[in-house]
Amino acid sequence: MESLIETRGLTRRFGARIAVDDLNLSVSAAGVYGFLGPNGAGKTTAIRMLLGLIRPHAGEVRLFGLPVAGNRASLMRRVGALVESPSLYPHLTGRENLEVTRRLLGAHRNLIDGALDTVKLTKDADRRVREYSLGMRQRLGLALALLNKPELLILDEPTNGLDPAGIHEMRDLIRRLPEEFGVTVFLSSHLLSEVEQIASHIGIIHEGELLFQGPLSELQTKQQTQLIVGVKQIDSAIDCLTKAGWNVHHSVDGMLSVGAKTSDDAIRINNLLVEHRLEVFHIALAQPSLEDIFLTLTTNQSAGRRAA
Amino acid sequence: MSLLRALHAELLKLKRTLAFRVIFVLPFLVATLQFFIAWRTKRFASDFNLWETLQTSSLQIWAVFMMPLLIALVTALLNGIEHSDRQWKHIFALPVPRYSIYFAKVIVAQGLIFISTFILAALIVVVGFAAMYLRPELANSGPAPYGAIAKSASLVWLASWLIIAIHTWVSMRWAGFPIPLGTGIAGTFFALFAASAAVGKYYPWLLPMNIFLEGRATTAIVLGVAGGIIAAVVGCWEFVRRDVLI
Repeated sequence: MESLIETRGLTRRFGARIAVDDLNLSVSAAGVYGFLGPNGAGKTTAIRMLLGLIRPHAGEVRLFGLPVAGNRASLMRRVGALVESPSLYPHLTGRENLEVTRRLLGAHRNLIDGALDTVKLTKDADRRVREYSLGMRQRLGLALALLNKPELLILDEPTNGLDPAGIHEMRDLIRRLPEEFGVTVFLSSHLLSEVEQIASHIGIIHEGELLFQGPLSELQTKQQTQLIVGVKQIDSAIDCLTKAGWNVHHSVDGMLSVGAKTSDDAIRINNLLVEHRLEVFHIALAQPSLEDIFLTLTTNQSAGRRAA
Repeated sequence: MSLLRALHAELLKLKRTLAFRVIFVLPFLVATLQFFIAWRTKRFASDFNLWETLQTSSLQIWAVFMMPLLIALVTALLNGIEHSDRQWKHIFALPVPRYSIYFAKVIVAQGLIFISTFILAALIVVVGFAAMYLRPELANSGPAPYGAIAKSASLVWLASWLIIAIHTWVSMRWAGFPIPLGTGIAGTFFALFAASAAVGKYYPWLLPMNIFLEGRATTAIVLGVAGGIIAAVVGCWEFVRRDVLI
């Protein structure tokens, strides 16, 4: 399958701080790719390098198989982007904002109505953007990115700052895009829950480094559900569970986190602890949070490094 | 081609902007002042030449004071609409070369200053006829020197290209008003002192004024136009290399 985005050894520093470190992304056509990482992980810096807004200190970006360096203008015809907050002219109407970008692109006039329709702004197209709500502004930003019917859509935190209704609306819109327009979406977010709902493939970045890249299903099998256990005699409980072959960690609030998957596991563990006369006051299955995933992945990675 | 597209986009952005309004206001201020001087002067000297006085004094006030400040204001406003909602990251991710965006900004600023200067030129004629009507002793001042007024206005404008190029770069480089306006005020302020010095022949903020001075006019036009083009190219060269971080 053709790689739409490919980066090799992409690196960017700001002073002494390495924002993006030896990044090797590979995004193939179709579907939604979620680029996941906490704030400050280097997502925006990476995206700006993909778009040629900032220059890498090392490595290269290839889009549609061609290096961006030297081909920027022709490649960007096939890309639409919304980087962080939408860039709009508040003194112009929604339609006029699209017209400014249309003129810069030299694109056909009738694309504007299509873009407005896709983001459901036709009704408000002739109002000035300064009167728009945050959600409408974000949708107009998306319309700007979609105007030229791109093959690749790059969205940086598209739901940031939106209220729940706005988030929902935006998410639905993005989910529809690959099917309706055949566009591949590369989307960054700091929320796992967000990305899980729309992405088929995931890349996880942390402190400038890519920790994981692959199908969402692969990440999910890697990430076992955790059983959170509250027990009075913590040390004895760890001892007991470890002997029984369970993987046990200290969790937050003096709880234990046990690598268990199913409710049957929960029953088994509960029975085991009770049989040993340990007093259980809390037991619950928990989906791993993004923090847990980072913790697991970073632990695995440093373990891997030690092994190497 | 891409420059034409960028210019076409710039024209739409001007809609409802202060930049497009202020170019009409400042010439009116100068013309109003001239009108009151012509109307209220108690007695005109015997060799008083209405058209000559109107033309030189209006355009000189314009060249040394109003126009440089207008340039600072207009370029800051033109680029302010890009800084305010962090437009650069959107524009520079489009398949348009950055130099086209840059030169479109320079050309639009030049265009606005041209319009403003010629509004003043037209108002000079209006004030002249108004003064002749209100003060009968001026009635035989002769025909309006349309050609001479247009020529002076054109030369003032050409000599301003270097200031426009400097301000375009400054206001693209720094968001907000303090630095662009500070540059304009400093440039105009030092012009007051540089005027009588030898360096005044080459000082960017004095070039539009210098077209009225014998011995300095040619330098003013050559330096204004050539310097303006070179400064725009250098500014563009610097700007397109910048990382777009905001």
